[in-house]
Amino acid sequence: MLLTLDLNDPRPLHEQVAGAIRRAVGEGGYRPGDRLPPARELAAALGINANTVLRALRDLRDEGILEFRRGRGVTVAERPAGRALIEQRARDLLDEAARYGYGRDDLIDILKELP
Amino acid sequence: MTDRIRAPILAGVWGTLVGAALAAPPLALRDRLPDPVAIHWSGAGADGSAPLLTFTVLPVAVWLVGVAIAIGLALWGQTLTHRSGRVYWWGFLIGGGVFLVGLSLLTLDANLDRSSWSRADLKEWGVAVVMAASLATGVLAGWLGRGAPDVPTDTTRQPPELRLRPGRRSVWVGRGANPWLALLAAGSFCLVLATLWTGGVAGGEAGGLIGLAVILGLVGLFTSSVNVRVTEQGVAVAFGLFGWPVHRIPPERIARARAQQRTPGHVGGWGIRGRPGNMTVMLRAGECLVIDYRSGGRFTVSVDDAERGASLINALVAGDRSER
Repeated sequence: MLLTLDLNDPRPLHEQVAGAIRRAVGEGGYRPGDRLPPARELAAALGINANTVLRALRDLRDEGILEFRRGRGVTVAERPAGRALIEQRARDLLDEAARYGYGRDDLIDILKELP
Repeated sequence: MTDRIRAPILAGVWGTLVGAALAAPPLALRDRLPDPVAIHWSGAGADGSAPLLTFTVLPVAVWLVGVAIAIGLALWGQTLTHRSGRVYWWGFLIGGGVFLVGLSLLTLDANLDRSSWSRADLKEWGVAVVMAASLATGVLAGWLGRGAPDVPTDTTRQPPELRLRPGRRSVWVGRGANPWLALLAAGSFCLVLATLWTGGVAGGEAGGLIGLAVILGLVGLFTSSVNVRVTEQGVAVAFGLFGWPVHRIPPERIARARAQQRTPGHVGGWGIRGRPGNMTVMLRAGECLVIDYRSGGRFTVSVDDAERGASLINALVAGDRSER
C-alpha cells in the first residue's frame, strides 16, 4: 500500500491518512476482501501515532470502504464510490495546480474550457 | 502439454504395479509366514510386530495416498512446469516405490518360514541395498524425467516510474502471509503436545518432543507472515506476528527493485532460503519483491502489491543518488 502525505497540508493528519488510503484502494492495488497491512505497520512507516491511523481507518469504515473483522484484521469492503474518489482526485489536482501557480478559479476555468 | 497427460497415466500404471508388488507377496506366502509378523528391529533383534493383515494393507494404503498426491500435483499443480519440480516428482515417485517394495520384500524374507515373529532375522546388508537401490533409481528417474530446460520466462514487470515531490512523504507497506504455514505449525505443535499429554512416550524421548514442539511453534510464529516497509530510511522486512526480527536494507545498498512472479518450486521450497547477500523469503507462490544489491546479490520476498513497492524503492534510490 503506497501512501503519500503532504507535509505542508494544513488538514488534520487523520484526514490526510484517510485520503492516502482511499487513493491507494481506489487505484486498484487492493481489491474487495484483501487485507490491509496492520495499522501499527502503517503508522510506523509514516512515522506517526498508531491512533491517528486507527482513526483514519475508522473514518473509512464509516464511509463503507473498509471492514473490520475480528481475527481477520481490516479488509477492503468495496472500492471507494465515485464521488469520494473524484473528490480525492480533485484535491490532488488542486495541489498539483497550486504548484504551477494556478489557483482554484484558474482550474475551474480550465474545466469549463474542456470540450 | 503431453507431459500433463503422459505423466499421470505413467504414475497410475507405476502406482498399480508397485501396489501389486506390495500386496501380492505377503498374500501368496501367507502359509509360510508367522502371524503377527516382525516389522521392526533393533540391535538385539526383532522388537516390534504387526498382524499380517496390517502388514499387507498399510503399505499399500500409504503408497496409494502418495500416488494420488503425485497425480493430483501433475494434473492440477505447477510441479511439472519447471525442471526442479519434474526431477523431484519423478525421483520420489519411482524411488519411493522401489524403497517400499524393497522394505516389504526384506521384511518378508526375514519372517519367511519362522515359527514366531520374535525369531525373524533381518539381513542388515539388505537395508543398505534397498536404500542404495531406491536412491539410485530415484536419481535416475529424476534425471530421465527432467525434460527440457526451463525457458527463462521473464515474469519481471518493470515497475511504473514514480516521481517524488519535495515536501511530501511517500511510504509503502506490504504484507505477505501464508495461513497454511501458520495452521501447519499450530497443528504440529498441538499434535506433539497431545502426544506428551497422553503420556505415550518414555522420559528420554519426551525431552526431544518438547524441543520439537517449541521449534514448530516458533517457526510458525516467526515465519508465517512478513511485513515489508519502504521509507526514506530504506527497506525493513519484519518477520512474524511480533514484527521481529527485522531485516533492514539501507537505500545506498540497493541498485534497483522490481516485481516478479515466483513459486516455492523456483527457489527450492517455503521459508527463508539462501544465504546473506542472496536471500529469499518465500511464503507463498505469486508476486514477489526483488531487490538487486549494488554488490551483485539480491533479496527476494513474497509480498502483495510488490509492484508499487518496487516503484517507490526505485524512486527513493534515484533521489538518494542525485543528492550526492
